[in-house]
Amino acid sequence: MKLIRKDLLRKTYLAAACVLLISAAGTQAAAQSDAVLANVMKMTGKLIAQGKNNQPIGQFNLKTYRVEEISLQKSVAVELQGKLVNVDRAWRITVTGGPFPVRALPAVIWIGDVPAGNGAENERLSEISVLVFDRSLLREGAVIALSYGENKNNREELPEKLRMTGK
Amino acid sequence: MNSRSRIYSLSVLILVLLALTLGERFVLAQGSDPGSPGPLSVTREEYNFGDTAFNPTGFPGPVELAASIHYPTSLSAGPYPVILLLHGRHATCYLGGTALLQWPCTQNGSQSIPSYKGYDYLSEVLASHGYVVVSISANGINARDNQVRDLGALARAELIQKHLDILNGFNTTGGAPFGTRFVGKFDLTRIGTMGHSRGGEGVVRHFVLNSAQGSPYGIKAVFPLAPVDFNRFAVNGSALSVLLPYCDGDVSDLQGVHFYDDARYNVAGDLSPKHYILVMGANHNFYNTIWSPSSPFPGSADDWLAFVPGGHSDGQCGTIMGNHRLSETQQRGTGLAYMAAFFRAYVGGETQFVPVLTGDAPPPPSATTNELFVSYHAPDDPDLRLDVNRLLDSTNLTTNTLGGAATPTDLSPYDLCGGAAPQPATCLPGEPNARQPHTTPSARSNKRGLSQLRMGWNSITGMYGNELPGGTRNVSGFEAVQFRVSVNFADVRNLDDMAQELRIVLTDSAGNSSSVRVGDHSGALYFPPGSVGPVPKVVLNTVRVPLTAFQGVNLNTVRSVQFKFDQRAAGALLITDVAFASAPR
Repeated sequence: MKLIRKDLLRKTYLAAACVLLISAAGTQAAAQSDAVLANVMKMTGKLIAQGKNNQPIGQFNLKTYRVEEISLQKSVAVELQGKLVNVDRAWRITVTGGPFPVRALPAVIWIGDVPAGNGAENERLSEISVLVFDRSLLREGAVIALSYGENKNNREELPEKLRMTGK
Repeated sequence: MNSRSRIYSLSVLILVLLALTLGERFVLAQGSDPGSPGPLSVTREEYNFGDTAFNPTGFPGPVELAASIHYPTSLSAGPYPVILLLHGRHATCYLGGTALLQWPCTQNGSQSIPSYKGYDYLSEVLASHGYVVVSISANGINARDNQVRDLGALARAELIQKHLDILNGFNTTGGAPFGTRFVGKFDLTRIGTMGHSRGGEGVVRHFVLNSAQGSPYGIKAVFPLAPVDFNRFAVNGSALSVLLPYCDGDVSDLQGVHFYDDARYNVAGDLSPKHYILVMGANHNFYNTIWSPSSPFPGSADDWLAFVPGGHSDGQCGTIMGNHRLSETQQRGTGLAYMAAFFRAYVGGETQFVPVLTGDAPPPPSATTNELFVSYHAPDDPDLRLDVNRLLDSTNLTTNTLGGAATPTDLSPYDLCGGAAPQPATCLPGEPNARQPHTTPSARSNKRGLSQLRMGWNSITGMYGNELPGGTRNVSGFEAVQFRVSVNFADVRNLDDMAQELRIVLTDSAGNSSSVRVGDHSGALYFPPGSVGPVPKVVLNTVRVPLTAFQGVNLNTVRSVQFKFDQRAAGALLITDVAFASAPR
C-alpha cells in the first residue's frame, strides 16, 4: 500500500501543469516558466484520444474529453521529482461541458485518483484544459473527473472513461 | 449671565473653535456605528487608461488600468487617507445572458463585467467620513490567472502597486482625467487595502511586494475578504483582519484563516493587531453587488446554492425553513460594519471603533446581525499581550510558554494536532478539509496549519491548568484573559445543537480563586451548525473575558489559569492561544 501511495504521489508531482523553476532568480524564473507554459497551452496539438458523449450530466454539465499531444519546438525545463528535466512533449487534457463557473478555487482535472493539475477555462467557459508532462498518467480506462479545489470527495466524473485508442 | 450659562456658552465656543480648526476630522470623530453614513457629501468618478495598459511581470496577457474613485466632494481638507479595494475572480465579459472569460472583451458586442463597482456601498460610506476610496478593475488578470503558477497573486500585487503609482501622480503633479484636483489630497502614508476572494490574497501579496520595495507606500491595514490563501504569504507589521463567511460555497474551506494563524508568532515584536470575523450566515458572493443574484450581469450566483451539491437542504446555510442565511443587504451590512471599523480605526486613527474589532463591543447596528464571532490577537507588546500557552509544540503540553507547568486532569485525549510534524496534519481525522479550515492544505504551499490542543473530558473532574511562574504573575495591567476555542463536532461527547460550557478560574498566590463561566461572556462554545458538504466547520473563535469579572482575586499575583470542565458531564474542544491581552492603543 505504501508503494502504491508513493507511486501515486510521484505521478501527482510529475503531472503538475505549472511548476516552479527554483533558482536564485526566483520570481523572474517563475515568470519565465509561466510564460513558457502559457505558450505551450496555446499550441496546436495532435488529437490522440477523444470521447463521444454529448449529453451533459451532473452539476457541471460535463460531456466528454479529448487528449492532444503537443510536440515542443524547443525542450522545456520542468521540475520533476525535485529535479529540472528537459521535456519535448506535453499532453493537453480537455474536459468539455459547462458553462463552467469562474470562481476563486481553481478547477482540477483528475485522472483516476491523481489530480492532473489546475485547469484553465476557455473563453466561452465550455472547456477546461490542463497540461501534463508524464505520459504514464494517461492510463487506459481511468476515470476522468473534475472538482474545484483539490477536493477528492466532490469530484464529478465524466460518463466515459479514458480510451487512449479512440478518437 | 449666571455661571451655568457662562459654562454652557464657553463649551459651545470651544466646540465651535475645535470644529473650525480640526475641520472635517472633528466631525468625523462623532458617532459610534462605523458603518453609518458620515456627514460629508461624496463624489464618485472613474479613470480608465485602457484595456491593455498594463503588463504584470510574466503574465500571459494585458490588464486594464481602470478604477472608480469615491472622495469627499468638497476636498476642503486633506490630505485624506486612502483605501484601495480589489475584487476577485469572476467572469470578465458578457454577451446577452452569457458570461465569458476573455480580455479584452472581443466577442462581437460583448461588454465588460464591472466587478470593481461591487463595493460602492462601502466606498460611499468611507468617503462620507473623509476617506478616498479607489476600487480597481482586474478583469485582465481574471481572464488568465489560472495559467500562472501562483494563480495570479503577484500580478494582482503589481496591479495594486501600479494604481498607487497612478494615485501618487494625481497627488503630486496631477494628470488626466482629473487635472490638479487631487494634488496634495491623498495621504499615501496612510493606506488600507481590501481584497475579495483571490483579491484577498492579492492585497496580502501586495503588502509583501510593497515591503520588498522599501515600503514606498504606507500600508497600515490589510483586509482579506473571504480570501484564498494559495501561497501562504503573511502580513506582519500592519493591522490585519480577515472576514470568513461560514456559508462560503466557493472558498468553502475558509483557507483565508491561514492569514491570521500564520502571522501570530512568526515575527517577534510584531506590533500589529490581527483579527478575523466569522459571519455565520454569509456566503462568498453577496459581498459584491455585481456577483450577487440581484445583479443584472451574467455570472452572478448564490455560491452556496450554486456550488455545494445539496446545499439548499442545509439547516444553517440552505433555504429550508429555519435557515440562518443573511440576505444580500444584511450580508453587506456585516462587511460594511467591520471593514469600515477596521479602516477607520487603523488607517484613520478613529480608535473608538477598536472595541468592535476586539469583540469587546457587540456588532454595531450596521452589521444587521449578531450571528458572528470576532477573534483578536494582540500586538506582541509586553504591555498588551502575555502569552500563557501558545500550544505550538509538544513541550507546551507539559510546560507552557511562560515556563510554568501545563497540567491536564482527567482529560482524554490531550494532544496537539494540526501543526508542524510530527503532529497529525488534521485534528478531525476522517472529516473533509473544508470542515477544518485551520488545517486545510494550500494549493501552492506545503505549510502546515494551526497547532491546536485537542482535548476532552468524561466527567466533571476534568481540568486544564497553566501555572504562571514568579515574575509573570502581575496581570493587573491587562484587560482580559482570552483563548481561541471550537467545539469538536466530530466527538460524540458534544451533543448536537448544544453549546458547551466551562469555567475559567484564576488563582492568586494567597490561594484566593475566582471563576467565571465562559458562556456568560461569549457564545464561542456553540455546536458548529450545518450538515451538508463543507459544514459543520471547526473554526476556533476568541473567548475574551474581562479581568474585572474575576472578583476577590489579586490580579497582581495570579499564579494559575485553569479551565474547569464541570458544567457539562462530557465534552471535547480544540483550544489555542491562551493569553492575557489588551486592546491595541
